[in-house]
This record gives sequence, structure tokens and C-alpha cells, in this order.
Amino acid sequence: MMKSASRTALILATALSHRSLNPNPSTPFFLRNASATVSLPLISYTTTVTRRPSSCNNFCTSMAAGDSSPTSAAVEKQFDKFRFSLEESGNLRDRIKAVATEIDSTTRIMHSILLLVHQSRPIPEVLEKVNSHVDKLKQLFSKLAEIVGESPGQYYRYHGDWRSETQQVVSLLAFTHWLETGSLLIHTEMEQKLELNSEFCLDVEDYLTGICFMSNELPRYVVNQVTAGDYDCPRKVLKFLTDLHASFRMLNLRNDFLRKKFDGMKYDLRKVEEVYYDVKIRGLGSKGVAEGDQSVQES
Amino acid sequence: MEIVFGSASRQMLYSWASLHLHRQLFLMAPKSHRIRQLADSTMQGAVKKPRSIATESAPTSSSMKDSFSRYAEYLNQFNDKRERVVKASRDITINSKKVIFQVHRISKNNKDEVLQKAEKDLSAVKDQYIARLVNELQGTDFWKLRRAYSPGVQEYVEAATLCKFCTSGTLLNLEEINSLLLPLSDPSLEPLQINILDYILGLADLTGELMRLAIGRISDGEIEYAEKICRFVREIYRELTLLAPKMDESWDMKSKMDVMLQSVMKIENACFSVHVRGSEYTSLSGMEEDTSYALLGVSEFD
Repeated sequence: MMKSASRTALILATALSHRSLNPNPSTPFFLRNASATVSLPLISYTTTVTRRPSSCNNFCTSMAAGDSSPTSAAVEKQFDKFRFSLEESGNLRDRIKAVATEIDSTTRIMHSILLLVHQSRPIPEVLEKVNSHVDKLKQLFSKLAEIVGESPGQYYRYHGDWRSETQQVVSLLAFTHWLETGSLLIHTEMEQKLELNSEFCLDVEDYLTGICFMSNELPRYVVNQVTAGDYDCPRKVLKFLTDLHASFRMLNLRNDFLRKKFDGMKYDLRKVEEVYYDVKIRGLGSKGVAEGDQSVQES
Repeated sequence: MEIVFGSASRQMLYSWASLHLHRQLFLMAPKSHRIRQLADSTMQGAVKKPRSIATESAPTSSSMKDSFSRYAEYLNQFNDKRERVVKASRDITINSKKVIFQVHRISKNNKDEVLQKAEKDLSAVKDQYIARLVNELQGTDFWKLRRAYSPGVQEYVEAATLCKFCTSGTLLNLEEINSLLLPLSDPSLEPLQINILDYILGLADLTGELMRLAIGRISDGEIEYAEKICRFVREIYRELTLLAPKMDESWDMKSKMDVMLQSVMKIENACFSVHVRGSEYTSLSGMEEDTSYALLGVSEFD
């Protein structure tokens, strides 16, 4: 008997929860309708109505009692602590984001300078200008390290906030270094260049992603260098990119962003191969053909 | 039919085939050219490599290889660790779910028995599966691998807080959970401690389970119990509304808050209708706590 009554209550509860989602509820109709479906006599309906104030009272007093219970106070205390802690980490995050924005704008300036190499400006001049901003980057990264160091061991909690900026920095510095020396700036060298330490390190996957970004720059560089008359450039770039691609193939990557970037690298490689092929087959820089062949063999 | 149209259709077939063949050849031509070109260049690369070893530029390329083999080793190790952590997390999830189901087997008369088993199972989850997670993490990468183990930890928080609520009617604090986890860690390593975020996300899921529990209690006639749940859940919801926007991934929490509100409202509506229909309920159950209404009800029903 009791069970069936509570089932009715349940059915009503479901119906009610529907009602509460309805933007235009028509309560009187609903109540009439509901009492009809469970075939309640009218008198029962009226008792419900008369009873309501007292039951509401009951409910309210029981609520009040719940609020003042010791459990509730303990719960509140814990959540206050959480709120404090989350506010702190939120502030930290805001400060990190501010520095990341600064890193981003510095990187943009450097990138715009570096773009001059496509306009066949003398490379040493461009490099000098770019390198003059490296100190600023160092400063920003030490500032970042200081902020992140405030909550030790939580580097990777906030990592996402400076990730893409760092990848851009890696890409830029690696490209600059390649222009200077023709070799790859490896991970430890990159950390040294930015004066990072073991507390605030450069994530290896970020480094590798940055290197993939750098590879995206090379096809354009080759095309423009050849147009400007440097016919030996494709050979050098091709050699470097082939080595780099072969090195990347040693890595077992997961199906993530880095994998996608690495997959893109082969198109850079193909583009550079095509340029090399075009230059070579036409015997451009004719004196370079024999010499070029020689130097391919040499290198 | 075949004989009549045979020659004509065969002719058509021929011409179509030859056309198709032509087209295919046309399509093939640039492709094969491209393939040869690629093959050439890769062959060049292959030919070039052994030569380059012997010459002056060899050190640079081999140092590149060296450093990449270090990265490869690092990535292999780290990805393996991540996989193991994911597995451990999944086991925690499955077994915490079992504890939650055990709690739902509660009924009016078997409370102690059911809850005792649930608590026993819960501590088995901790000693077996969380201990494995602790072992895989080796005191490092708590934040880096958080995504890998967070689901399991959340589920464990859910199971532990549900058990605690059913046995004592109170909220199990993060500190209490974490003090239980301390003995699992090697004292020389940094211990695994559940972070605030996973605890809060676990609590958000708890509401759904408490909703099921409350509805179950109501259909079992334990209205008081359901009301207790209702007050408790409301309190949690209220506290979490303040925290939700401050969470690290507030979008994740936002959807959980929506689900939570649904659960809270379901419990409230169930409690509400039991209150409103209290007269029928008491009359039918034969308990005469409120004589006048009960009498009215009884007279109508008889």
C-alpha cells in the first residue's frame, strides 16, 4: 500500500520536473489534471491545499536547522578554503597570461624583422637586429619562471598558458641559429639561449613543435633565395631538412598536435626538393653545376 | 536479345573501354612522373647519406641524430608511463563504480550490511588500484599527467564521499581523503594527493548519485532520508556555484553545474510532491501522525 502511494509521488515528481522546465507553466491546470489522472476525490485535493502552509513551514524550519548544523559549518569552511586557493591560482594564471602576451608581442616583432630575409636583405644585418631582442625574451622567461615558481611543482598546471608562445620562440630562435650556422639548435642549447633552468625547463614536445614550425619557413626562404640569385641555397636547405626529417622519424609520436605538425614537414621537404630539382635541371648558376655536384658529394 | 544486340553493345563496350583506358593513361602520366621524381629525390637522399658520413659536415648531422635519439627515448618513456597511468585510472574508475552500485543496493532493512561491504570494497580500491596509480606516477608528473588519471580520481572521490554520506551524513573532506592516501606513497617520494580540482569535479558527479539514492529512498518510504539528501545536495550545489567560474577548466565545470542543478531539482521536486501528497501517503501507509488529514483521507478512500 505504502509503496504504491510513493510511486504516485514519484510519477508526480517526474511530471513536476517537466513542469519546472516549461517556460509557461500553468499550475492550476496541472494540479487538476494530475489529481484526475490518479483519480483522487475532490476532497483530497482540497486537503492538500489546506495542508500546504503547514508543510511549507515544516520544510522551511527543517532547512534552517540544516543550515545551522555543525556539518554545514565544516562544509562551508572547506569550501571557503577552496575558494581562497582557487582565487590565488587564478591570479597566478592572470599574471602568467600577461607575461605570455608580452612574449608574444616580442616574438612578433622579431618575426617581422626576420621576414626581411625573404626580401634579400643582407642576412648578418637582419640577424643582428633579431638578436638584439633575445635579451628581452630572456627577461620575460625569467619573469615567467619567477611567477610559476611561486607554486612549486605546478609547472604543468599552467603550462598551457605559455605553450604556443614558447613554440613560436623556439621556431624563431632555431631559424635564426640556422641562418647563422647552418645547424640545428638542439634542446639543451635552446634552454641555454633562453637561460632556462631545471626549475623552469623547456618542454621537449614544445621544442619539437617549434622546430616543425621552423621547417615551415624554409620552403619560402628557398624560393626567395633562388629568385634573388642564390642557387646554392636549395642544396643546403635540402640537406638540412632531409637530416631533420630523418631525425624526426626516429620519434614515436602520439596522435597529437606534434604528430600533425611532423606530418606537415614532408610537404616542406618536397617543396624544397622541387626547387632544388628545378634549379639543377636547368643548370642555373651554370658554373655551380659541376661545383654544386661536387659540393653535394662533399657534404 | 543477346544475339540481336550483341555486336552493337560489344562495340559500345570497346569504345567505352578504350576511352576509359585513354583517360586512365592521361591521369596516370603526371602521377607516374611525380612518383619518379619523388623516387629520384629520395634516392638522391639515400645516395647522399652514406657519403655525408665520411665528410666534414658529418658531426652536425650526427649530433642532430644523437639529440633526437635522446628525445625519442624521453618520449617513449613518458608515453609508456602515460599509458600505464591511464590504465590504472581506468581500473580505479571501474571499481569505484562498483562501490557506488553497492551503495545503491541499500534498502530499509539492510543498511549496515550493505554499507559495510561498500566501505570494504572502497578501501580495496584504494589499497589495490590507487596504490598502483601511485606506483606508476613515482612521485612525479602529478600535473603533467593529470588528464590521464583525473577521471579515475574523480570517480574515487565520488565513491568515497557517497559512502561517507551514507554512513555518517557528512561530507568527506579533501584533507580526510588525502590523509587516507598518504600511507600508499613511498615516504621518500612526493605523495599522491588529490588536488582541489579533481575533488570538486568528483563532488559535482556525486550529486547525480545522490539524486538516484534519494529517489530510491522515497520509493522505499524513507522520506526523512530523502530530505536529508536534499539538504546536503543543495548545500553542495550552493557552494560549488561560487567555485565553478574559478576552476582551471571552467567550461568542463559549467556543464557539470547544469547537470547538477537538474539533479538537485529532481530531488526537490520529489520531496515536494511527497509533501504535497502527504495526506494520501499517511492515510495509505496507515501511520496516523496527522490525525485530521489522515482521517479525511481514510474516509474518502474507504
